[in-house]
Amino acid sequence: MLPSLALFAFYVWEPLFENVRLSLHNSVRYEVLDFVGLENYRRVLANPDFLAAFKNTFSYTVWSLLIGFLVPIFLGIIISETVHLKGFFRTGIYFPNIVPGIATIWIWNYFFTPGATGVLNILIGKLGLPAFEWLNNTHYTIPLIVVTMTWKSAGSTALIYMANISAISPDLYEAATIDGAGIWQRIRHITLPSIFSLGKTLMILQIIAVFQILYEPMVLKNGGPNNASISLMMLQYRYAFRDFDFSGGAALSVMVCIILIILSGIYMKLTSGKEEKAV
Amino acid sequence: MGKKLFKTLAALTLVAAMLVGCGAPAADPTKTPGGNGTPTNSASDPAKNQDQPGNDQPAKTVDLSLGIWPEDTLTADIEIYKGYVATMKNLHPEVNCIPAYYKYATDTFMPMVEAKTVPTIFETWFTEPKKLIANGAVADITDVLKSRGWLDNMNPSIRELLSDDNGRIYGVPRDGYALGLMLNVELFEEAGLVDKDGYPLYPTSMQDLAEKAKIIKEKTGAAGLCLLAKNEAGGWHFSNIAWNFGATELCKDNLDGTFTSNLATPEAIKAMEFVKSLKWDYDVLTADPTNEDWGTGFMQLGTGAAAMYIGANDAVAQPTQVNGLPVDKLAMCGIPAAEGCRPYSLFGGTPYMFSKESTPEQIAAALDFLEVIGKAPLATDDAIAGMKADAQSRVNNGVPVIASFPCWTAKDFLDAQDAIVKEYSNVDAKMFNAYFDATKNNGLHPEEPGLTQDMYAELTKVLQEVLTNKNADVAALMRQANENYQKILDNGFKK
Repeated sequence: MLPSLALFAFYVWEPLFENVRLSLHNSVRYEVLDFVGLENYRRVLANPDFLAAFKNTFSYTVWSLLIGFLVPIFLGIIISETVHLKGFFRTGIYFPNIVPGIATIWIWNYFFTPGATGVLNILIGKLGLPAFEWLNNTHYTIPLIVVTMTWKSAGSTALIYMANISAISPDLYEAATIDGAGIWQRIRHITLPSIFSLGKTLMILQIIAVFQILYEPMVLKNGGPNNASISLMMLQYRYAFRDFDFSGGAALSVMVCIILIILSGIYMKLTSGKEEKAV
Repeated sequence: MGKKLFKTLAALTLVAAMLVGCGAPAADPTKTPGGNGTPTNSASDPAKNQDQPGNDQPAKTVDLSLGIWPEDTLTADIEIYKGYVATMKNLHPEVNCIPAYYKYATDTFMPMVEAKTVPTIFETWFTEPKKLIANGAVADITDVLKSRGWLDNMNPSIRELLSDDNGRIYGVPRDGYALGLMLNVELFEEAGLVDKDGYPLYPTSMQDLAEKAKIIKEKTGAAGLCLLAKNEAGGWHFSNIAWNFGATELCKDNLDGTFTSNLATPEAIKAMEFVKSLKWDYDVLTADPTNEDWGTGFMQLGTGAAAMYIGANDAVAQPTQVNGLPVDKLAMCGIPAAEGCRPYSLFGGTPYMFSKESTPEQIAAALDFLEVIGKAPLATDDAIAGMKADAQSRVNNGVPVIASFPCWTAKDFLDAQDAIVKEYSNVDAKMFNAYFDATKNNGLHPEEPGLTQDMYAELTKVLQEVLTNKNADVAALMRQANENYQKILDNGFKK
């Protein structure tokens, strides 16, 4: 137990507490200087980009739940119900996951290029439609970034759902079929209740992960146009690695952590009743 | 009992972990480097060496790690550097040169500083010195520069860029540069924008620039101008455009430690309106300026996707050697001004800086190396040989050999530089006359004071909005940028 505790303390607790300490002090490079109380937090809140980053981060989360949460469930159920070529489809949906993240972004970047040279604009041009601005239309910047994220990661999540679905007793499906249940009734009354608990866990993990979105908006649009895609983690990256203001970056990361703890608490509270009901 | 033991162990481990974090006292970042040599440096403490018996022993080896070594793919440049090392070995046998190619990046540098793995000498960007100095991440080299007599030979604008508030110096310039307009001559020829001798008809005013860009777009299909709007480089270029519309003071230094943002002046707004018109009225820009940065701009120019791009004399290798534009198809002129306004060229320098862990001997060895490669304000035989080797390499790689902007003021050094440019010139000087004439006659304008990167970031946001939203209210956006920047200045420079 002691080695585990020591490792845990060294790799998790110590950096965590050090980060909190850093956020309450002035610093030069990573070196802590004077205690300044909440001054770093005040500076972060006064940053002109903070509000946009804050709003966008929630927007990413909401869009990822609308787009990204349901797609893996749908894929998982459809492939589980598939009789032929199941292995092929399983590999197919997982394939985007093995493409490196930056490569994925660059592929989509070519698709989303506005003007006559963008892949999507070429395709819609064949249908006689005018060129679209894609990511440069600030109404669609975040949803389209979420689409790229979903394309990359939905497959691995779908595999988890499929594993869960395969563990459901076939007797339940047989009994339902004998009772005359169709595919939609089987899904509604057997599959969905069985994956509810897993879905709940994956949802909160997704919220935590998407809340920390960084490289997708950074590589695709560098947070633009005009802050339309900037996230809190991007802002934190700028504090730490563009401005070398590590105290500011630490303060922002503590704020993100607190927000996530609150969100997780609210979510657990809201869903605990439903789980009991489902069980 | 088990639970109690677990809690005790957890608490003890946590306390131990926190003590580890609190352990070492913070070093004074403003302390100048002294005798704290790197582990590889055996000559780190000369005082100690004097007490050693047998002082007639050969001088101890000084390890000099060269972050300015060419990257692996530049084999021809590496051969040249091997020649420099051989010369160095003859002149300073005690110096052990270690290739340690390092491309400066903001996300890798600070961890390297903490890990004490920064090469003795490295090259950084023009935007970085003030930040690195403020963070105590680089070595103070004032005394050694003074002892060598280099200090008085440094161009004052560049010296200011490399100094702290007390006038201490932390770097030496590699090159001076002034922003101008790079032209892809092939596209000008295709568009018929050349005079009877075949020289490109470069734009003489902002209005002329827009019109020529439109002609090029119509006749060649290529963008007339590549404008940057992805990151702070967009704001950097825009600041020069704004000056040429008469907004010559985007940030006012109040000389009392505070600054005033001037981004919403009528002149600056007019400049931004002009940029907006390039997209929505003239439609002469590349497909997505919000995805263009410094590197892609040169790619667009070099590969013939854009005819004009704001660039400087020290980056002529980018469109040619890196992106394939023939050496005789690159021309340069000054950035034009709006009617009735004076043109300016943003002037700066690319610096060499030194690891804060370097010993005085290592810094001295690094400066010796700069002498050998011809980047010091000296015109010794070795320095001239170094400059010639560099010029020959440019000729071999299809990079224009053109004059640079004087980052040093030593006359014999400048004369030697001019003579070498003449000897190795591989381009028609008339292709660059307009640029050098303009930068001689124009005011060379240093970067704005204050938190310049933040100003560039605010301007880039406005650029992005006006280039993606046809109905953008330029004046309102500039007012917002002005307000934001003033907030940042007030936070950063509190009295």
